[in-house]
Amino acid sequence: MNSRVNSQRNIIDYAISSLLRRKIKNLSLLALYMLVVFVVASLIFFVQALKREARLILGDAPDIVVQRTIAGRHDLIPADYSRQIAAIRGVSNAAPRWWGYYYDPNFDANYTFMVPPADPPKKGTIWIGAGIARLLRGAQKGYLVPLRNAARKTMLLEVVKVFPADSELVASDLIMVSPDDFQTMFNLPKGFATDVAVTVANPQEIVTVAGKITEQLPGTRPILKSEMLRTYDSLFDWRGGMQVVILSAALLSFIIFAWDKATGLSADERREIGILKSIGWETTDVLLLKFWEGIAISMTAFTWGVILAYGHVFFFSAPLFEHAIKGWSVLYPRFRLVPTIDPYQLAVLFFLTVLPYTAATIIPAWLAATVDPDSAMRS
Amino acid sequence: MIELTHVSKCFTMGKSNQFKAVDDVSLTLRRGKVTILKGPSGSGKTTLLTLIGCMARPTSGRIRLYGIPAPGFIELPPTDGFDISSLPERFLTHIRRTTFGFIFQQFNLIRGISVLENIMLPAYPTGESHAVFHKRALELLNLFGITRLAASQVELLSGGESQRTAIARALINNPDVIIADEPTAHLDSTLSREFMDIIGGFKAHGKTVLIASHDPIVYESALADMVVDMRDGRITGTGRVS
Amino acid sequence: MMQHPAVIALLCSSFLISLMLLYAGWCGSRILLKWDMESGSSLQLILERRTYLVSTIQAYALTFQILSLFLFIFTADALHTQFVGAMCAAGSLQVNAYGYPTLILKLVNCLLAGVWLIINHTDNRGYDYPLIKAKYTLLIAMVPLVYMETVLQVGYFSGLHVDVITSCCGSQFSQGAKNFAGDLAALPAAPMKTAFFSAMAITGMSGIFFMTKGKGSYLFSFASCLTFIIAIASLISFICLYFYELPTHHCPFCILQKEYGYVGYILYACLLVGGITGAGCGTLTPFRSRRSLTTIIPSIQRRLAAVTMTCYTLFTLIVAYRMLTTSFRI
Repeated sequence: MNSRVNSQRNIIDYAISSLLRRKIKNLSLLALYMLVVFVVASLIFFVQALKREARLILGDAPDIVVQRTIAGRHDLIPADYSRQIAAIRGVSNAAPRWWGYYYDPNFDANYTFMVPPADPPKKGTIWIGAGIARLLRGAQKGYLVPLRNAARKTMLLEVVKVFPADSELVASDLIMVSPDDFQTMFNLPKGFATDVAVTVANPQEIVTVAGKITEQLPGTRPILKSEMLRTYDSLFDWRGGMQVVILSAALLSFIIFAWDKATGLSADERREIGILKSIGWETTDVLLLKFWEGIAISMTAFTWGVILAYGHVFFFSAPLFEHAIKGWSVLYPRFRLVPTIDPYQLAVLFFLTVLPYTAATIIPAWLAATVDPDSAMRS
Repeated sequence: MIELTHVSKCFTMGKSNQFKAVDDVSLTLRRGKVTILKGPSGSGKTTLLTLIGCMARPTSGRIRLYGIPAPGFIELPPTDGFDISSLPERFLTHIRRTTFGFIFQQFNLIRGISVLENIMLPAYPTGESHAVFHKRALELLNLFGITRLAASQVELLSGGESQRTAIARALINNPDVIIADEPTAHLDSTLSREFMDIIGGFKAHGKTVLIASHDPIVYESALADMVVDMRDGRITGTGRVS
Repeated sequence: MMQHPAVIALLCSSFLISLMLLYAGWCGSRILLKWDMESGSSLQLILERRTYLVSTIQAYALTFQILSLFLFIFTADALHTQFVGAMCAAGSLQVNAYGYPTLILKLVNCLLAGVWLIINHTDNRGYDYPLIKAKYTLLIAMVPLVYMETVLQVGYFSGLHVDVITSCCGSQFSQGAKNFAGDLAALPAAPMKTAFFSAMAITGMSGIFFMTKGKGSYLFSFASCLTFIIAIASLISFICLYFYELPTHHCPFCILQKEYGYVGYILYACLLVGGITGAGCGTLTPFRSRRSLTTIIPSIQRRLAAVTMTCYTLFTLIVAYRMLTTSFRI
């Protein structure tokens, strides 16, 4: 056993010295490898962090959101329904919500208007999100925002609060208004709301309550929090996966490049292996040599790729990817992602990068290792 | 003792450029003696060396090794010697590593690493601890008077220094048999005679030596116990130097 | 579902392993047909060189296979939130009919690859490639199994449809709520306990008998394979209950999580290694009479038996320790 360990150590020594002797060739390979790991790792970390954020935020969402549908499309719900829902056994609270989208032609952007469930702003005033503040070129308290209502009249609403930067992910494009202003803005028929937010006391009962709602109030569709979470998870996964598929072209090129580098043994390398074999190195020993070289390169590229990706995503917020992953919009929230990586993601990354590289180098390594020893005699 | 029986080696068999490098050679190399293979280039000396030295397998014929310590892990039939003609490569290599030391015509030192490391290379896969063979390498450097070159790059060595490095490398695993292919090809007369002195030292230590050379300094030396003439892959004559 | 990065990674690796083994199998078939130890012809030399390639491929394939086994389980676990009613990996795997077969086949392929490497190692110790035909026959037999595993895995992932919000109503009510037992059908605990400890004892005793007397390797090997299966069934049936301290949570995968100190890794590693070495031990017995291996095989078998017994003993000790120290009682 000891001799096994010794021979491995000796071979590793030689592998590292061999790599260092061919700096140019190995550096170019290393750089490319690191780039590939960096890109894929950034992607995976970013998607994972967004999923985590989404989960945290949706954690505060109501257990059930009841919407009304007509002919498969979303319709306004009678505010009275909330009373009927609240009467169902198991429901601890049911409140109507008023919210909607407003398109601002000046900036080509959509804002989300909402009446907060409690203590709304006074009539004529609004609270705005940081994204909107930026868009309005640094709007602050006291700023008057011109908005067109449904009757095509301009309303001037005064900003009394700007949501802090910490809340950007939820509140970037949000404008909170008073109920009266909301009514004037959108000319909603009286007695109607956008949807009803329901809180259920016992989480095990959520499905049952949702069932009762559909029974009692036909034409409504209850949306469960768990469903929303699943949908967002799935969406981010899908987006992440799509990116990986797109990147697969780049990955494949890298693999072909690696293969080419590995098979292209220079005359010098061939001579060196021939000499090694002629002085007593066996094919297995040379295979081990190539194996350790591969490990050294893979581990270096993997480690550095991951470190750089970590910095890219968590310090610079992944400028390369954000558009593809966050979706198409004009107002992007500016937020710092919370660094979250776990062994599982690293394993996935390993499978997507190191595995194909290793597989691609098996045959070239073997070709190198089976150089004839007596070729050294004839050189 | 090494015994060859009707050994042949063909290259690119079955194709139009089929070429028989060694043709029906039968030869016995005695233990502790110096044997010289003499003949012009292309006579098959080098190929025969590779066959004897467990570097290649004969296309036909048998090669048996006697009295050479069998590697521990071989499960041998209970006879004195063993047949290496059809041994798998890993066994051949193990035997070669422990029993044979090679000195190549072109020296075949690896560029980019130091003299000391070149000498230690054959010991790397043997499983010995680094400290042990490092010490042996230093002793060998001392023996050949090239200790001061331990850290030098091999590209900067002179012909004689390269050769001594090559010889030291051949000895790192304490082999029983030394095989040298045209060792004096790149040396002047003085260095050639020095080389033969070193061979004398080997013989005095009981090592078996096999040299392929067409240099008279080698084959006419008093140390040679047997001189084998070769031409076109065949043995044309064997003689003892009187 | 196919778009998830982890799924892409798994499919890629399966695909790669299949390709690698297909190529290895092709090399193997050529070797089987044309092998002639006595000849020194160039074809023989080429074939001998090929054997190095095949064993290298197999070694890598085994490594990738074991890694992908764990990645598969973890991916199933990561995906469980996407399916209504799935509580953990066990639930995800039951979403369609391909989940468990894929897992089982992955396990089988790991075992076979491990046994192949044991045979290969033994073959290399003999001076005339004594096991070459057996080795490559096994390799060729593995190729369709690996291919089948890839197909099943593709089937599993393409059959996963996330329960997202549909346009007419919540997913719950369009399809009716599905309920996947996150728990598996588990065998009753008391008989399993008896079976488990007896199987371990029998393996231990036959192992000691084999190591001292040199006979009974078939019995030992059979016992260790049977113990492997019983141990897995026991994991599901009662062992994991002691770790979760819940009488109904029969999932064999949650013990791989951080909450339980990653104890699952040690347990599964012990089982896998023990299973491979135990099976390998018995596989070598028919070849004891080969001339070049008469002293080699017994020593290798003894070492394999020792490894098997160490692994199984460790497994049993961990389980027993847990059973004795926890306050939970079935």
